[in-house]
Amino acid sequence: MTKNFVGESVSPEAITYLVMALMSLLSVLAVYMAIKEKDLIKAVIYSAIQSSFYAILYYLLMAPDIALVYLPVGVGLIPGVLIILISKTERVEKD
Amino acid sequence: MSGEIINTYLLLVIVSSLLVNTVLSVYGVFFKPHYIKKVIALTILSDTMNTFAIYIGYRRWVNGLNPRPPVLTAQPAPEALEKFTALAVDPLPQALVLTAIVIGLAVILFLVFLGYVLFRHYKTLDMREIRRLRG
Amino acid sequence: MKPSEVITIVSLVLSIALLLTLAYVYLVPSTSVRDLAVFYLYTTYNPVEKYTAYSPEGVTAIVWDYRGLDTLFETAVFYLALIAGLALARRLFAETTVSSARAGLSTIVKTVTRLTAPMIIAVGASIGLHGHLTPGGGFQGGSTIAVAPLLIIVIFSVYYLLASGLTTNKMLALRSMGLAGIGLTAISALLVGLLKGEHAYVFQNMPKPDSLVGLPSHIGEFLISGTLWFFNLFEAMAVAAGFTMAFIVLLLVKEVSGNERRDH
Repeated sequence: MTKNFVGESVSPEAITYLVMALMSLLSVLAVYMAIKEKDLIKAVIYSAIQSSFYAILYYLLMAPDIALVYLPVGVGLIPGVLIILISKTERVEKD
Repeated sequence: MSGEIINTYLLLVIVSSLLVNTVLSVYGVFFKPHYIKKVIALTILSDTMNTFAIYIGYRRWVNGLNPRPPVLTAQPAPEALEKFTALAVDPLPQALVLTAIVIGLAVILFLVFLGYVLFRHYKTLDMREIRRLRG
Repeated sequence: MKPSEVITIVSLVLSIALLLTLAYVYLVPSTSVRDLAVFYLYTTYNPVEKYTAYSPEGVTAIVWDYRGLDTLFETAVFYLALIAGLALARRLFAETTVSSARAGLSTIVKTVTRLTAPMIIAVGASIGLHGHLTPGGGFQGGSTIAVAPLLIIVIFSVYYLLASGLTTNKMLALRSMGLAGIGLTAISALLVGLLKGEHAYVFQNMPKPDSLVGLPSHIGEFLISGTLWFFNLFEAMAVAAGFTMAFIVLLLVKEVSGNERRDH
């Protein structure tokens, strides 16, 4: 049992939930940046960052099958296909 | 007991951040005019819904023992099976989410092909321009 | 702000807070799972139980044995979406082979890709074929294998891939072989039952109480869990070939001018 700076003992359960909550908060920031961004390549990269935060969340929720699917699909295949489409069409979203 | 309040608060932080993700991506699907931005927001929306389903299958810690993934790692003696069913998380939402991820991927792949054909026809991917030019 | 907007926003925030307060018992997980989950966990690798699936991995057993029909229709949906996408691009690409040593990125990146692409394929095959023992399975392995052709297309060029033999027709043949393998494995227990004159079901894996036909769960001393190993193998093959086909077509579509149009 680890102890925090006040002297009480912090359970491993709370540390696990703390890391899960931190991953969720960071994914909200990544989603907001992805929706707001006007350069589409940067928006795809922000969406890939959000996918990697979700993959860590799936591992902490004890679902290793889903994490093994989601990492190639959300970080490799979907951004790859979207970047190929952007290179053949427009790159910047106008107002 | 302050430990219980902290645990409940952290779990509700996860739920509320998933809700905010849903709101932001629905806003992105409806109010952003570019086609590729709509596809990105649709991807984020389907992933957030899958995360909700996996979160429902989770279980809390029992007597200080953490929950396990639904994989049996010992020989199937009766006491090992009892311990396994007392600690493992729910495997059914994970199987359904596996199917849902594949179907979402197929839809996104088709939308990308459709976006290219749209660009060839209208020379732009701004949905307001396409609405103005349409027939 | 107009008074109607103020009333709308304030009432929305207050009602969401009320909803969360009333429903927080359901939003926070409990310490026990449902009875259906206990049934799946208890019978997934249990030699004395009569509804067992003989596979220590719970999620793969649910995906391919307990709820195998869902996965069959999901494979059909994926197949239809791929066919629809290829039909949209039907007169827009020409598979010529214009290859030169200068196409693609620099020599350093090409050398590193020559080392890592076989490793990616090996890891993907391992994930796909061990799906009944550890977390993994057909779709996980197939999508990991499909990352390697994407790397080769971007770093070398798509014409290099076509010149080295991976054309659209060969990928379509591989995918069709994978889907035919899935279909044959699904009715294999039924065929064995018909030949022996006994009662059997479609999508059957292990012997059940009223149909004693089943596939073997061990070969020698290796655990293959009946139909699960074959399902994983064919699904990985079909998924990898399908993604490669989609990448090749998506890279090759371009503006075809009037005198270059060919009939496919």
